[in-house]
Amino acid sequence: MSFSLTESLDLFVKEHNNRQLVTIPIVVFMLSILALALMFASTGAPVKLGMEFEGGTMIAVTTSESALSIETKYSDYPIIDARSAGERVVMQFGPMDNKVQRALEDDITASYSDVEIKQIGAVYGSALQLQAVKAVVLSFIGMAAVVFLIFRTAVPSIAVVLSAFSDMTIAAAFMNLAGIELSLGTVAALLMLIGYSVDSDILLTTRILKRRGTVEEKISQAMHTGITMTTTTLAALVVMYLVSTYSYLVSSSLPQIPMLSDISIVLIFGLAADIMNTWLLNTAILRWHVDRSTPRRRRT
Amino acid sequence: MRGDEVKDKEDQSIFKDIRVRIFIIALLASLVAIHPWYVADEGFTTNLNYGLDLEGGSWLQIKLQGAIAQVDADPGAIVKQMVESTIGTSIEITDVNIPSDGSSNGQTYVMFTTDDYFTQSQIDLLGLGRATINRKDDLTEVTLYSTKESLIVAFLSNSLNTEVVPIAYTDGIQYEIRTAVSEQELQDLMATVGGSIVKNTDGTLKYREGVTTETRDMTKDILSDKLNSLGLKDIPVRTVGEDYILIDFAGIDLATAKDIAEKPGKFEIRIQTTGNDSVHVLYGDNIESVGVPGFHEGQWHTPFRLTETGALALQRIAIETGAADNPDAHWLNMYLDDNEVYSAPLSPSAAERVKQFPIYAWESSTGGDEESKIQAEQLQIHLRAGALPVNVELVGSGHVDAALGKQFKTQSVLAGFLSLLAVAFVVFRRYHQKEILVPMVATSISEIFMILGFAGAVGWQLDLASIAGIIAVIGTGIDHLVIITDEVLHEGKLPPTKVYLARISKAFAIIFAAAATTTIAMSPLVVMGFGALKGFAITAIVGVMIGVLIARPVYGIVIKEVLQKAD
Repeated sequence: MSFSLTESLDLFVKEHNNRQLVTIPIVVFMLSILALALMFASTGAPVKLGMEFEGGTMIAVTTSESALSIETKYSDYPIIDARSAGERVVMQFGPMDNKVQRALEDDITASYSDVEIKQIGAVYGSALQLQAVKAVVLSFIGMAAVVFLIFRTAVPSIAVVLSAFSDMTIAAAFMNLAGIELSLGTVAALLMLIGYSVDSDILLTTRILKRRGTVEEKISQAMHTGITMTTTTLAALVVMYLVSTYSYLVSSSLPQIPMLSDISIVLIFGLAADIMNTWLLNTAILRWHVDRSTPRRRRT
Repeated sequence: MRGDEVKDKEDQSIFKDIRVRIFIIALLASLVAIHPWYVADEGFTTNLNYGLDLEGGSWLQIKLQGAIAQVDADPGAIVKQMVESTIGTSIEITDVNIPSDGSSNGQTYVMFTTDDYFTQSQIDLLGLGRATINRKDDLTEVTLYSTKESLIVAFLSNSLNTEVVPIAYTDGIQYEIRTAVSEQELQDLMATVGGSIVKNTDGTLKYREGVTTETRDMTKDILSDKLNSLGLKDIPVRTVGEDYILIDFAGIDLATAKDIAEKPGKFEIRIQTTGNDSVHVLYGDNIESVGVPGFHEGQWHTPFRLTETGALALQRIAIETGAADNPDAHWLNMYLDDNEVYSAPLSPSAAERVKQFPIYAWESSTGGDEESKIQAEQLQIHLRAGALPVNVELVGSGHVDAALGKQFKTQSVLAGFLSLLAVAFVVFRRYHQKEILVPMVATSISEIFMILGFAGAVGWQLDLASIAGIIAVIGTGIDHLVIITDEVLHEGKLPPTKVYLARISKAFAIIFAAAATTTIAMSPLVVMGFGALKGFAITAIVGVMIGVLIARPVYGIVIKEVLQKAD
């Protein structure tokens, strides 16, 4: 599987010039920005904020009742949504005062088993929002600083940083399309994406700048290694996503694990974006950079 | 023959390599730290701690409400406002001797007159300070000896119905208000007594939300103390960020956790009658406020204030039992949840005064040495009887049933295991060599093992977030092993040792660079102490470190050995 992908990607890179190569990732990046902007225009945040950032209560229980009947049953409370997966029903409630909250919790614990409750106050939620933004910005700046320290040349460093930025943007836009909310798990995934994204970029850049041989040759070798890296990681993440999300199909009492499910799906799409950004965008920029700084006669 | 000899030498040399030795020691240390064992009735157990989401239990996160501000006001206006609203008589301020620059110019006082009669205890009840009362020509003239600082404290705590603590800074006195009050509310309140919030030089107001670190830590200690006094051991109470406190209740459901957190301790004062007998005086609800321990007259003191009912009860019982006439025969004892926490006779001066009028402001002295200071601080906590010094707000809570937690645990371990299998499958499809597959998967497993070992050694709790962190690290780990492998097998076969070493160092240059960026990218989460994500970030960083420093160098050595043998 990884072979055919590598071969065809390699061929694609060889057959197209730099301008053609960067067009695809730039178009996808622009569309992603558009998706984030549309979400921002309608909700005031570039991605849909989940309960942990908006405040509210999440309750999950094991029951044979349908999501709809549960929604009706708790309609006296500020219930927003109820969804079922196998025998698990997950309810979302808006903010309520302590007494109402307490009554709801007592009712739920008395009537159901395997209860999971998570409540975040609106004030704390907005404090978390601020922290999440800070964390992402700081991580990104830190990563950029390290990348510049490693390569000490502008164009390759900018290419790596740009590629990581685009990975995160596309992953976030995908969250909007797929209706995934920003949770603590997805913030973690976006940050982890910085790490994964830079792995293959550093490999590519080091190979091209610090090795002998023709650029084309170095690109295809780096691609062999890089695609193997990304596909192994993807394989692990796909399995993690399936186990944490669809276990109930095997046995209907198995719960979903939202944190693992969120982290893995966002990383899967982030890494898919990373394949494109590393081997089209970053490769084209590096190829252009090397060609520009080597004498004309050595061009192939 | 010759080939075998060379091989034997290299077999020996691999264990002489310092990196291999460190690796083996790290594995053994992890085994000790994890301590897996089998107990007949408990089954398979380890030394690892699990978080609430895997173990079952509940957590509460509370925010401390408060504000710290520097304010100014007209002392006369404060006295007028407070006396009129509490006693209900209109008064006339006749003289104010409190310099506005705060310089102490002898005795500072506020003088006022009224048509009505005032008693000493009415003035005492206001808590504004010492007063002298003169009655002449149908006019009561009161001189109230006080300072601007204590007037502002009294005014704020009275209006906001909370404790207010003055803190001396170099640029003036700031007031810690232990309840939620917005900048605007405070500004409006100060305007009623001709005052305002003091401005910084840049025009902003000297106001910030929150409480001091000391107050936050005291709140934490009181909570800890209370939970421990209820016989609940090992309930960690942690501060998170500036204004948050997080309490983990392992194995306790959310309703019980809330009950425990809300239930105050039972504080009681009794006075000894004869021998071991004593009579009840008052409960903790009659203690209006508790002050910070102070040192004067060679003794440590913990000040506290009684309510009117409390002060009257103490006066009545002190007289009835004879404690007022013969204090040494009738000691005053304090109990928290029926355990004696303080016992001493009334001081002669207090005994004398209590015969004439109820005393609101009391002090418990504990002695003059360092230990007495600790006792005074303990007493301060006990007097509060689990009541917190600041208003708190529940901002988050959670609950996971024990059975569900167990299921999460099993399922996430399964997810990790299947992920590893998937990785192995992809690696095998790529290299078609079990000589590469086995060391690669083994290295990955050894990394997981060492991360768990580290977790066991430092006693940190593994929760879902840390498990996600471990899986993420395995992802980057395999990435790095692929880089090493491809670098070494540049032309599809193992190069001579010299070239091999050069390539290994090239591979590690890439790996270290990648590890550095991941570590830097994760560190804001660790520093910011961001709820559940801190565990994720710490695991990721520790995992990356263990990987690049301990496990992956050994993979570089082993892969060469194994491939050489395969040739």
